[in-house]
Amino acid sequence: MSPNLATNPQVSHVSLPAAVDVVRVEGLGKTYPKGTEALKGVSFAIDEGEVFCLLGRNGAGKTTLLRILATQLRPTTGRATVLDHDVLREPKAIRPFISVVPQEARPQMMLSAWDHIRLMCMIRGMSKEDALARTKTMMEEFDLWEHKDKLTADLSGGLRQRVLLAMALIADPKVLFLDEPTIGLDPLGRRQVWAMIRRLTAKGVTVLLTTHYMDEAEKLSDRLAIIDRGQLAFLGTVEEAKAMAGTGMKVIVEPLKANGDDRQVLEPKSNTEILEIVQRSLNDGRRVTFQPPTLEDAFIKIVGGSIEE
Amino acid sequence: MLLIVLSLVSFLPVFFLFVFSGGNAAMAMPALVGAIVLTLAFIGLFAAQSVYFYKHWFRFQDMFVASPVSPISYTLGLSLSTLFSSAPSVLIALAILLYSRPVGIVPILGILGVSAILWLAMVFAGFAIGASTKNTRRANSVPQVLGFVIGFLPPVYYPLSILPPSIQPFALLIPSTHAAQLGKYYFGLLDLAPTEVLFGWVYLIVFTIVMAIIVSKKARWVDP
Repeated sequence: MSPNLATNPQVSHVSLPAAVDVVRVEGLGKTYPKGTEALKGVSFAIDEGEVFCLLGRNGAGKTTLLRILATQLRPTTGRATVLDHDVLREPKAIRPFISVVPQEARPQMMLSAWDHIRLMCMIRGMSKEDALARTKTMMEEFDLWEHKDKLTADLSGGLRQRVLLAMALIADPKVLFLDEPTIGLDPLGRRQVWAMIRRLTAKGVTVLLTTHYMDEAEKLSDRLAIIDRGQLAFLGTVEEAKAMAGTGMKVIVEPLKANGDDRQVLEPKSNTEILEIVQRSLNDGRRVTFQPPTLEDAFIKIVGGSIEE
Repeated sequence: MLLIVLSLVSFLPVFFLFVFSGGNAAMAMPALVGAIVLTLAFIGLFAAQSVYFYKHWFRFQDMFVASPVSPISYTLGLSLSTLFSSAPSVLIALAILLYSRPVGIVPILGILGVSAILWLAMVFAGFAIGASTKNTRRANSVPQVLGFVIGFLPPVYYPLSILPPSIQPFALLIPSTHAAQLGKYYFGLLDLAPTEVLFGWVYLIVFTIVMAIIVSKKARWVDP
């Protein structure tokens, strides 16, 4: 497991060991030509086969970070390596082994799913025969075969996202970058994408994805980084986030016939306090329910606001 | 198929000139030369839309950057594909021209040469526009306005001599005027002095180099 390294007080300061990580970021900063400082001294490392989520509000710097790692954007300060190659100096050594699905990417409406995947195979340098065979394999793997002749204009959002994922995965990448992969999808479509990501990591693919959906980060991530205003605010697992933010069980006390008017949400500090609340509520004839801490609670504690702000 | 149909749009003025001049081939022939030159210029200029849409709309350029695809092959692919789609209409026009006015191989190479260099300049212009705009409306409208400025306004379909002498120097500032003048010259539809031929070629080459410099400043494979 890679060290939880960051330049932020919420994460311990340690030196990176010499071991080779799939992704390694050290003091990365990015200031855009017009002066916007999007990233400030971000450091972390990602292990092979991990699903690593970058979580943060809109404009926090998640996409900037992902684009730098995917060799699409130059960093201003610091260093980043992917598969032990520097993203700035050796992008050509990285590119054959990575793939990216950009945020809000969309297929061409007048082409079919088959066309998209076959064209990407040929753009990636496959021969005509190999491209046809690979396209068929990918379409079957992504359950797209029955839709192969439909124009993408006639496909659902979830199927279109699958087309894009299939395009990204034709080259069997070692590292996959997904920028908000489920934005705009319905709950079923989101779950299909999640299942696909899990299947990939089972094969050893490392996935770095950005999201601002808390449930997505909670369900998918092996580890996550919370980015706030360009800085690393937290690095660790979901459980560590909840623990670090000091969020405990919430106790909700309300009348038996709940009408929402007299509802109390309490955050007791100890088990003794929980017992006292339960005892008091039962004596008063009120209903008590418990709500375990969520990643959203931790996020709010860590960045001092909600994701929608 | 759609692009092939669109490339035929540049032949509409030829049709109108032929019809409204009462079937006068003397008007239609220079216009046909202009149409060949402009078909390639238009299709080059509209690379702006491909560049913009692949980068900002479909976001495929980001997928290509993060792959072994080189910027050179991407650029060549986008620009040369436009040549394939415009080839049928250019060949049809060339066949009509040759049927009406048989010429040798040098004039054919001449008109294809000036058309190709104007196409290259317009591809560069298209890439510069597509790479520097982040606005869909602008990506669509700027090539259309420029298409009007380089295509329908200057003496491409009609002779330069029709314009008042005071306006002619301004018309000669537009590169498509030179391309059309040279094309008409190669088909024997216009007399030009050797210095005028040389000036026309030099103007087109310099314009293409300037466009290449602009696109090298504007278009980026890896964003800064």
